[in-house]
Amino acid sequence: MAGYHVVLVHFPIALWMTATLAILWRALSDGALAKAIDRALVPLLVVGLISGLAAYAVGLMVWPWETISSTPLGRNHVLLATWTVAYWTLLLATRWIQGEAVWDGVMRWVMAGLAILGSALLGITGTLGGHLVGIYTEVSEALRFFGWEVYTTFYVPTLTLAAIGAATVLLIGLGIWGRAPQRSAG
Amino acid sequence: MRAYSHTLSRMGGNMRRVGLYINISLVLFLGVLGLSWLTHGTGVIQNDTSRNIYIPKDLTMPLQVKVAYNGRDIFFRYRWPAKQASIYHDMVKFEGGKWVRYGGSVAGPQPQGIYEDRVTMLVDDGSVPEFARYGGYITIGDRMRFFTNEATAKEVRAHPYLGQKRNQTEVGKHLPATRKDINDWASVVPEEELAALRKGGYFLDLWHWRAHRGGPIGASDDQFVFDARSGDAGKGAFTDNWDSQKQQPKVMFDPQKNKNQRSLKWDDLIQRKLGFDDVYFITEDTAVPFDAAYAWKDGDTIPRRLLRKPDGSHADITVVGQARWKDGYWDVTLKRAMDTGKPTDDKIMLDKRVYNVAFAVHRDALGSRWHNVSMPVTLGLGRDAELVATRFDGDEPAWNQAWHTVTLFYPGQVNWANLNSKKHAGAESIKKGVPVKYRHSEIQLAHYGVEAEFADAIRRQWLLTMLAGVILIAGFGIALNLLLTRKQGV
Repeated sequence: MAGYHVVLVHFPIALWMTATLAILWRALSDGALAKAIDRALVPLLVVGLISGLAAYAVGLMVWPWETISSTPLGRNHVLLATWTVAYWTLLLATRWIQGEAVWDGVMRWVMAGLAILGSALLGITGTLGGHLVGIYTEVSEALRFFGWEVYTTFYVPTLTLAAIGAATVLLIGLGIWGRAPQRSAG
Repeated sequence: MRAYSHTLSRMGGNMRRVGLYINISLVLFLGVLGLSWLTHGTGVIQNDTSRNIYIPKDLTMPLQVKVAYNGRDIFFRYRWPAKQASIYHDMVKFEGGKWVRYGGSVAGPQPQGIYEDRVTMLVDDGSVPEFARYGGYITIGDRMRFFTNEATAKEVRAHPYLGQKRNQTEVGKHLPATRKDINDWASVVPEEELAALRKGGYFLDLWHWRAHRGGPIGASDDQFVFDARSGDAGKGAFTDNWDSQKQQPKVMFDPQKNKNQRSLKWDDLIQRKLGFDDVYFITEDTAVPFDAAYAWKDGDTIPRRLLRKPDGSHADITVVGQARWKDGYWDVTLKRAMDTGKPTDDKIMLDKRVYNVAFAVHRDALGSRWHNVSMPVTLGLGRDAELVATRFDGDEPAWNQAWHTVTLFYPGQVNWANLNSKKHAGAESIKKGVPVKYRHSEIQLAHYGVEAEFADAIRRQWLLTMLAGVILIAGFGIALNLLLTRKQGV
């Protein structure tokens, strides 16, 4: 399955990187070309997500779960791949649900930032996959410089898990709270 | 008109409010991501000596090596950094009317700093092929001493061969083919097979210099790893100075040869006052039978190891000059006949042949498995290899050649059974014979070794982290879309 995984990952990498460029362009420009590219964004993200999920599923079949979940590099690759897929799903859902409104005001910069973050996640996932098959890049050196030794499992302490949980509740609360007046005003 | 203007004003206010919520959401999302980045890798790895867990601060260290031979003898010179020389080892101190032991093997650093520095070297001539690829990892079996799940002394003593015939009390280094099943330390192959394996050269020679147990009298231990770690035939350079029945030392210092002192002073040891040129060890020449009737005082201390002149195959390795620590570095030179005439105890060294060696260093009062080890290194006697032994004429080498630096690393609790199991992604590569150095660096192996000690806890925390990340992304997505929908609807 390793060979198939390597083949399949090219698709989400290409599509999500293209999507990043499209988002950045649209964030920087209201021109006709930028708008035309934006119209292709949802299909691009949909195909990206489908190919990403396929690569993810096949990737999980390369090694038995017991193996991949026992090795630090394997764990890190799975973790980053999971977050990457989840993250690009968020971008797709947002653009799909909100339509062109995502380019209004400050939101365009939020979209640009999110796209850059998504690309970073994608890049790290790919780098870790390379490590797993013995192909190394300087990206891991950069991560080491910023405080993460990629040969150690990325995990956070329980207190941070609690903070993430609390932040998630707060985020949803903010969304509901911010939405509430619309209903009363309507 | 006023109503329209009021509506516009309300819309503007709502937009600002929603914009504020989006910004807060963004700050919250990025803030938690930042917190995760700053706190990652913490909260799980903690020392717990009750479970034989202690993680050294430095996971790697350098060892410099030079090798020379003259056709008759071979010389190995080792140089490595150490904060201080640890030359005391295993003492018994008189306190409260009885003799109490300090300085035996413990999990982590010996609390009083009484544990000797050491350098060791495993040697093979190709008879143990896996050693060339995986080094000392192949000697680490199931339920090894000082692993969290170590076999108990009772279990090992009860073993019909290891316990009852070989007097082992713990599972030490051994080679895979000496067991029927690498997952079971007790599954020793029949003795006839062991004998045949040994005769066929299936063992690793072990050069073992200790700063206390042999170092002071210019001796090095000569051992081998086979079905267990054993000394070569003959007498070793030290023996126990302890009468377990009487719970007292067997010998004490001869006062006539030790400035009228029968013992050392505990405070001198704790304050590290005794140096290389002082008396900090006891030998057969400086000992007399222990006098239980003497008025021993609290703090009187006697070494629990008696140094003696080794003989037979056990005495093949000697120290050249004085092994000393100076200016932050140990400098130790060992010498052995290239052909000791004992091919079932030693690896015979031949000119123009390539061998495999692996090194280890104990320092900072750490013993047993808390050493730093190397990956396997090829050693060529006048042949191309990673470490080339230089031929010279005369009795002692001039040591003109450059040092060869080897990176040593803390190996953690990784054993051969695990490396060949489903828990290791490289198990298939091992089956194919891919050498460890082609897939792993020393620092990588050190980190893996540390994580192996907390395998279950880290796996659980990793799964929770992965899940938390997905939930956070989903939460952020929900917030963003709720707020943006609101904004659109304003």
